[in-house]
Amino acid sequence: MYKIMMFEGGVYKFNELKELIEDIGGFILQESVMQTETMLHLAFPEEEERVIRDKIKDLGGKFKELPLAGAEIVIIVPSLGKHHAVDPVCDIAEFFRRKGAITNMLGLARGVGQRIAQMTAQEKKIIEEFDAAVFVFGCFKECIEEKVQLCAMLDVPYMVVGGPPDLAVEHYVGGIGRKTDRMRRKGEIDILDDMTAELRTIVDDRRREIEEDPLAASPLFVKDMIEMVIPSEAGDELPIIIQLDGLRINIKEEDVGMVKEVEVGKKKLSEICDLKKSLFKGYLLKIRTEAVTGSVY
Amino acid sequence: MEVKVEGGDEFANASYEKICMNTFRDIGVRSSLDLVYMYCNPKEHVFIISVKIGRVASPIKVGDITHREGEKLRITNETYAPKLLALLWDKYGERVQQISRLEIEFKLEEKEVDELKEWVVYDPREDLVARILDGIDRIFPEGARVRSTIPSTGRLTIISSENPIVEEWKKKAEELVSAYV
Repeated sequence: MYKIMMFEGGVYKFNELKELIEDIGGFILQESVMQTETMLHLAFPEEEERVIRDKIKDLGGKFKELPLAGAEIVIIVPSLGKHHAVDPVCDIAEFFRRKGAITNMLGLARGVGQRIAQMTAQEKKIIEEFDAAVFVFGCFKECIEEKVQLCAMLDVPYMVVGGPPDLAVEHYVGGIGRKTDRMRRKGEIDILDDMTAELRTIVDDRRREIEEDPLAASPLFVKDMIEMVIPSEAGDELPIIIQLDGLRINIKEEDVGMVKEVEVGKKKLSEICDLKKSLFKGYLLKIRTEAVTGSVY
Repeated sequence: MEVKVEGGDEFANASYEKICMNTFRDIGVRSSLDLVYMYCNPKEHVFIISVKIGRVASPIKVGDITHREGEKLRITNETYAPKLLALLWDKYGERVQQISRLEIEFKLEEKEVDELKEWVVYDPREDLVARILDGIDRIFPEGARVRSTIPSTGRLTIISSENPIVEEWKKKAEELVSAYV
């Protein structure tokens, strides 16, 4: 299993770190060099953590864990109106991003109210494209209890964020509710930390589930293989997004055939993946399990 | 401005108290309101907001937001600059020119300049009710779209719900509001 972490430091001997990562079979997910400062998102086999940590210590850089890295999260609010956005939903999304997640925001078309709240079939399908969903509700206990029933029909792990501090709802974090200003006080940051910890348990559970029945190839490896065939264009923002069990690739329709032909080990991508057009953005590539496809080597 | 929220649990009341404070501050009517009373009944999904209008700020005159420097006026409060310029151009046309961000040049007679200082640029009374209604709309939960008003002088009371508002709630709202506001 790969571990994803962030390195921050200077450019001195920084290429040595990159070479070391390649040597131990790791990947560089994101690289940004700002004058003398560098930032890297690294993925490497878990057992090699000590080697990487020692190297970073030699270089005098900082090392930060990204517990949510490799997961694409959707944050759902009852509407994108001023009652729910931008506070507190943007603070929540920003906090998840700091922990390595790729976040998206979704406002339901008819999610407001208590009795009248609905989730359409299309919205349900879009939410199910992500690794985990985070529902951000308001201040009233009665309202949240009613709306949680909407979430229960989803086939994706989810957590609920709301106002009342304690509520008998699974994966619930209270103390937020409706906000009219940014969450920047100590108590609020602590709540955001609790929320990240709760989401981490959900993502880790999903990771363990995948590990029990391993994928034919790691999404990180598949990403590397695709990038060799279709290099990202300059200025392209996140053309390939890593999910826990696949990838979201933002490619043109004419490139789909090329992606299917990408070689992963001894097999073609079309043999080990299901590729379908996303209702939200780009194409979704779900990697089949090794038990179904057989070994790629 | 005093805010009182009742009906919900402890957390909801505290949250809505803050929401009322911040919303009315954002739209700039906080100093014109004496009291805001909100009643929440999430079980039946009925919410009531009643505001008592207090003293409204006096009209803003040209002399209040500018200061004369020879043949020029220097804007001292930029908030009202668009309204001020619109007023001056409407009255004097090309005889008034904005030469920089905060400077207005004029070619007017002395008598006209004296008169000009007394002109009203903005009267907060004009759109006070509209702004308060906008604030109330922002405070009510978004799903509570059915609205009913209770008419009275010096007070603005609105009931909202996602269900039809029955007579019983209108009566209850009047009782609640008359006890506090």
